[in-house]
Amino acid sequence: MAAASDDDGIAGGRSGLSIVTNLSVVFLVVLWLVPTIGLLVSSFRDRDAITASGWWNAPFPVEQNFAVGADGEFEQTPEGWVIEGNLFGEGGSGEVTAFGGRRAEPNAFEPGTTGELVRGRTLTVETNGDFRYVDPAEEEPRRAPTIYFGSEVPPNFTTTNYETILTSAGMDVAFINTLTVTIPATIIPILIAAFAAYALAWMDFPFRGALIAIVVGLLVVPLQLALVPMLQFHNEIGIGQSFYGIWFAHTGFGLPLAIYLLRNYMVGLPRDIIESAKVDGATDFQVFTKIVLPLSFPALASFAIFQFLWTWNDLLVAKVFLPSNSESWVMTVKIADDLLGSRGGDWGILAAAAFVSIAVPLVVFFTMQRYLVRGLLAGSVK
Amino acid sequence: MILNRLAAGTAMTLLLAGPALADGHTAVFTPGEGPLDWAGYDAFAEANDLSGQSVTVTGPWTGDEKAKFDVIMAFFADATGADVNYSGSDSFEQDIVISARAGSAPNLAVFPQPGLAADMASQGLLTPLPDGTAEWVSENFSAGQSWVDLATFEGQDGEEDLYGMFYRVDLKSLVWYNPASFDENGYDIPETMEELKELTDQIVADGGTPWCIGLGSGAATGWPATDWVEDMMLRTQPPEVYDAWVSNEMSFDASEVVAAIEEFGYFAKNEDYVSGGSQAVASTDFRDSPAGLFAIPPDCYMHRQASFIPAFFPEGTVVGEDVDFFYFPAYEANDLGSPVLGAGTLFAITDPSEGANALIEFMKLPIAHEMWMAQGGFLTAHGGVNLDAYQEDSQRAQGQILQDATTFRFDASDLMPGEIGAGAFWTGMVDYVTGASAEDVAAGIQDRWDALN
Repeated sequence: MAAASDDDGIAGGRSGLSIVTNLSVVFLVVLWLVPTIGLLVSSFRDRDAITASGWWNAPFPVEQNFAVGADGEFEQTPEGWVIEGNLFGEGGSGEVTAFGGRRAEPNAFEPGTTGELVRGRTLTVETNGDFRYVDPAEEEPRRAPTIYFGSEVPPNFTTTNYETILTSAGMDVAFINTLTVTIPATIIPILIAAFAAYALAWMDFPFRGALIAIVVGLLVVPLQLALVPMLQFHNEIGIGQSFYGIWFAHTGFGLPLAIYLLRNYMVGLPRDIIESAKVDGATDFQVFTKIVLPLSFPALASFAIFQFLWTWNDLLVAKVFLPSNSESWVMTVKIADDLLGSRGGDWGILAAAAFVSIAVPLVVFFTMQRYLVRGLLAGSVK
Repeated sequence: MILNRLAAGTAMTLLLAGPALADGHTAVFTPGEGPLDWAGYDAFAEANDLSGQSVTVTGPWTGDEKAKFDVIMAFFADATGADVNYSGSDSFEQDIVISARAGSAPNLAVFPQPGLAADMASQGLLTPLPDGTAEWVSENFSAGQSWVDLATFEGQDGEEDLYGMFYRVDLKSLVWYNPASFDENGYDIPETMEELKELTDQIVADGGTPWCIGLGSGAATGWPATDWVEDMMLRTQPPEVYDAWVSNEMSFDASEVVAAIEEFGYFAKNEDYVSGGSQAVASTDFRDSPAGLFAIPPDCYMHRQASFIPAFFPEGTVVGEDVDFFYFPAYEANDLGSPVLGAGTLFAITDPSEGANALIEFMKLPIAHEMWMAQGGFLTAHGGVNLDAYQEDSQRAQGQILQDATTFRFDASDLMPGEIGAGAFWTGMVDYVTGASAEDVAAGIQDRWDALN
């Protein structure tokens, strides 16, 4: 009896725990996704809609108030000056839920009734938008009245933001520039770091420990410190602001992490394989190319993903090390300095641009992410 | 060798990538037509030949504003044969410092704040404008000497020189309102600050909210409040006191400054006066805050902001019909005339060359100003321009306010050292609207200023 109830207790506890685990995973995933979903929804809305209501209201029809200048001519009748027409214009349609004659009270009257306005003026609006405005004044009124009304607006999504971005002049150049920066800036550091990592992991030479410590120390140096001196250096050796400059910069900024990551991975490879290769007469270079490099592929791939994502999204380094003319803009600079408008008020463009520029890194990530997980795990667990 | 060949390859791709400037500039202005000074342009083209040279310019104008300025640069290129490249940056203030320090500065830079230009001049990163420019500006700009003084800085050698020429002016003492709302409620445009305060109370009594104020602006959050305080300073104190405040001869925590901050607080810290209550002031983005004028029913009736704000009105808004502005009035009782607060961008030479001097020469031509006036969104202090070139009547009216000013003062926060004018003053104002007292905030800013010296 006691044992059975104990078993039940354990079983119940386990399933309860797993429910809690699942729930918290779901909660965390949702929490992580909310900003992205908001961004996605915003990218399909125009600037005015974003200012008017939150993205979470976007899928629902909203009650919105409008102001319409009554267009048409005043006609003189025994009642006074009359103007008639339809609020939705010719050929338009809609449903008026309320109307009014003052901006401060746009929903004062029910449709189908006649509202009394100031100075004896009256306004009648039908549900279908037909209106009749009567002004008993002696002289013809100088300006046509503005009529306010409430109406339900269906959710309105637009692809204008995406069209603006994809059709904007120079976007193709910016895309190619980004690739021109990103691909060499990913490959060069990996090449250098792989050699360095092998040396630091498997070759015996004095001060090896100190060198590793220095590389690890470099990890914490903020790259912002190096911007001005490095650009000065580039100017002195004659490459100035150019694609070479940015490749060097990204290589330099990426190397400490690359060396550290690859060295830690390589040091964990089985010593037996490497030693038996050496016993068989393999040189260090042969060991590196034939054994260590193929075995380190997961680590190489995971660093490649890191470096690719970081250089793809980079704005600061590109602004400093590339010429500032529009032919050398990478996508991030193009978006920030050209598409966002003079004072950065176009949130819709920003959101859409985020999704456009995310596309390539997503492809890279999903094709290589199994290496990422394996690379990270293999480096830490034996 | 390989490096060279690669370099040539890169240059080729760049050439293929597209022309530096849009060829559409002649579609915007046809040479010889319109209310523009083409005679001056032709004479300039005659006198200058820069074939084969290139001129690089950077500045804060991006997007639409860059497109408008590119048109003007294309005409400069036509006139001189030079290859001109303007690039705008969203983070101009940081970029120019980095490129100038590293020695890869463009020929000219367009500074949105004289304070930053003064900093760079004192570090020897700017070159004084050609001899005679100061005399020219003081003779040809309205209130010319004040524009010379604003752009005269101490260089690295301690010598004072003219380093900048103002090109575009923003008028800050404007209140934007919705004429239809005013009309329907029977409100009149206030002529004095006393009337403005009465109107504010009147709107509250009618159940409305008078003001929309938003201080949010990313890393620059708080700057709209500094404009309020500066405007209030000019309306409560004579201009000499304002100048003493800017140069810190008068301490930031002096009673005059505290009083001006509290004048701002009169509007911003009253729950009934501001849309969303005073707590919303600090968190509302300045770009979104004018939207309240256009809401139905209106979230607010008035919005004090500079002449550039129509760029953030909802699409299709017509200034003069859907929205209009009046001069932010002065106290009748204080008898300080009608002071006007403004700001402006100035051209400075960061890498001297013949082309850079020629471009400064070009900027003296009325047509360089008229071309932007005709494209909209531009005010100038140049006295020789044809006012018919203004695209909109509203801008002509702003030009009128500028001319009617008895006192013109430049935005104080733009003149103060960067750490104050683009730092402590901003954050201090956010602290103030979210609850701190004016005395504490002012004392805190003065402490930061003391720490600088």
